Amino acid sequence: MRHLLIIDETEAEAGLTPAGDDLYILHDAEGSHEVSFHGYAVRVDDVMDRVAVAVDGNVAYVHLNGRAHRVEFREPVDRFARGGAGGGADAIAAPMPGSVVAVNVEAGQSVAAGQVMMVIESMKLETAIKAPRDAVIETVHVSAGKTFNKGAPLIALVPLEEE
Amino acid sequence: MTRHLPFDTVLVANRGEIALRILRTVKRLGLRGAIVFHAADKGAPAIKAADIAIEIKGPTPVAAFLDGAQIIEAAKTAGAGAIHPGYGFLSENAGFARAVAAAGIAFVGPLPDAIELMGDKVRARKFVADRGFPVAPSAIEDDDPATFVERARAVGAPLLIKPSAGGGGKGMRIVRDLAELDEEIVRARSEGQRYFGDGRLYVERFVENPRHIEVQVMGDGHGNVVHLFERECSVQRRFQKIVEETPSPALTPEQRRDICETAAGIARAADYRNAGTVEFIYGNGEFFFLEMNTRLQVEHPVTEEITGLDLVEIQLLVAAGEMLPVTQETITATGHAIELRIYAESPARGFVPTTGKLLAVQWPEGPGIRMDSGIARGQAVTTAFDPMLAKLIVHGTDRSDAIAKAREALADTILLGCETNVAFLDRLLADEVFVKGEVHTGTLDARPDIAEEPPLTAEETRRVLAAAMLSLRPTRDAADRIPAIHAAIGAWRN
Repeated sequence: MRHLLIIDETEAEAGLTPAGDDLYILHDAEGSHEVSFHGYAVRVDDVMDRVAVAVDGNVAYVHLNGRAHRVEFREPVDRFARGGAGGGADAIAAPMPGSVVAVNVEAGQSVAAGQVMMVIESMKLETAIKAPRDAVIETVHVSAGKTFNKGAPLIALVPLEEE
Repeated sequence: MTRHLPFDTVLVANRGEIALRILRTVKRLGLRGAIVFHAADKGAPAIKAADIAIEIKGPTPVAAFLDGAQIIEAAKTAGAGAIHPGYGFLSENAGFARAVAAAGIAFVGPLPDAIELMGDKVRARKFVADRGFPVAPSAIEDDDPATFVERARAVGAPLLIKPSAGGGGKGMRIVRDLAELDEEIVRARSEGQRYFGDGRLYVERFVENPRHIEVQVMGDGHGNVVHLFERECSVQRRFQKIVEETPSPALTPEQRRDICETAAGIARAADYRNAGTVEFIYGNGEFFFLEMNTRLQVEHPVTEEITGLDLVEIQLLVAAGEMLPVTQETITATGHAIELRIYAESPARGFVPTTGKLLAVQWPEGPGIRMDSGIARGQAVTTAFDPMLAKLIVHGTDRSDAIAKAREALADTILLGCETNVAFLDRLLADEVFVKGEVHTGTLDARPDIAEEPPLTAEETRRVLAAAMLSLRPTRDAADRIPAIHAAIGAWRN
């Protein structure tokens, strides 16, 4: 079975099957490789490399050759969820972590494409969150003064087919 | 310690790596260390290292650290006879320095008047220029329109003509040959008129590929002022320093002596007390005063490494009313030191701050390697404070030795759970522009490729995937559910 993993921002598909004695076969796009992993070292075919790994739920952080990578395991159900329901344009997510300076809209309100819905501040820079299209506001998830992380939902628009 | 200071407890009004670094010296001197903290920093090493920790509150975590009255109250509660403000927050706030003194507590920093003088950029520039120290020559048309062209010529080439009403670089003209000055003024005036409806002009010396060089000074208020050599801090993004080193690779020994003596002279003219930094802009072999920072700087460790002095110790002695424990003749510089600021940020995405939980923290160790860090495993990195996580400081016999040491140390630095600039720092140190010492303050803007994260090779991807898939529950469990006998056909089944 193939798994979908997101390495940093790149998608990768790979399978893993056991080969006995803590050995596994990694099946990636280019072929099959015998692999094993012992806490601080990963072996692929006959080459051993030092790595450091930390796991947080479905995310593994892997340090290799002086660089840290974020590897997220995507549940198959998430893949369907992302593919359907009219695209992500209805959910306005934070482009970077920061705080809310001002909220100019409220639920139920109509906005025109390009209208400034919210002003956020990150790295001492203010950024205007503008409406991507003519829309009706479904939900405002944050209020002025609140801080948020990257990817946090800020505003939801009523999906087009429901308007 | 047999020293008898007029205080036995020092309150650190700061957080993170600098709080921990100050506490280290406080305790080494046999003093008690107190700290104020905000709940956002719960579990931080600096809080654990203090003998007394007092919680402060505010509408935001930063606001708590800017609340001088609350901090002075905490100092009284802790029985502290001195407050060290660190850098940032209230460190250059004259009102706070006065309030601390009025409460009968020693402020570990300069006198309020000096903070005020140097905090006002216009006053500071005039103070420095009036005493004959170099400031970038300039001419403002409005001062006396009749003599403007003459005064502009006196600024010298290369020079920059700017519309007085301008901004964003519009209408600016660089003049490299004074023979073209008259016609360029005419053109700049018409452009200013066109863009801003205002033809008045301003001229200043243009510093090509400017470098940021600063000098550490220390005064005791008893007439003694010394310099502790320079630091070069030209690697910057968004006007914030990333890498600092000493000595500067740009200066000749004569220029080095000049710039250091100029800085000491400025501090002496201001009868400066405690630690300060005189910043200069350097280019075309000339340097000009930019501003003076009236506090301990983030990058002070490189100075400590080459001089062997503890700047916080000297700060505390001076705040206690003592004379400087060193004279200019006894201060020497040995080897080369580099500081790398480790930030929670994404260089590849325009250096935006990143957040996360630190799941793994491993710092490099070894001779000539110093880590000033205020974070520990398990801590959350949020946007509540500055994104600087730690400072890696290396001390080598010479510059190339220091660079090699720094790269080895970066390779041993492991931070997982929050994206950092560690890999970027290594790319920068490996780049010819840094190796040759040719960095100026615009280098990172001119070379965005250094910030770019190179894609993983197929081999690297395979290793990352193997380590991740054998560590993640869903992928490992799925594999372990397959009997090994069936697995043999897996290779061609999918």
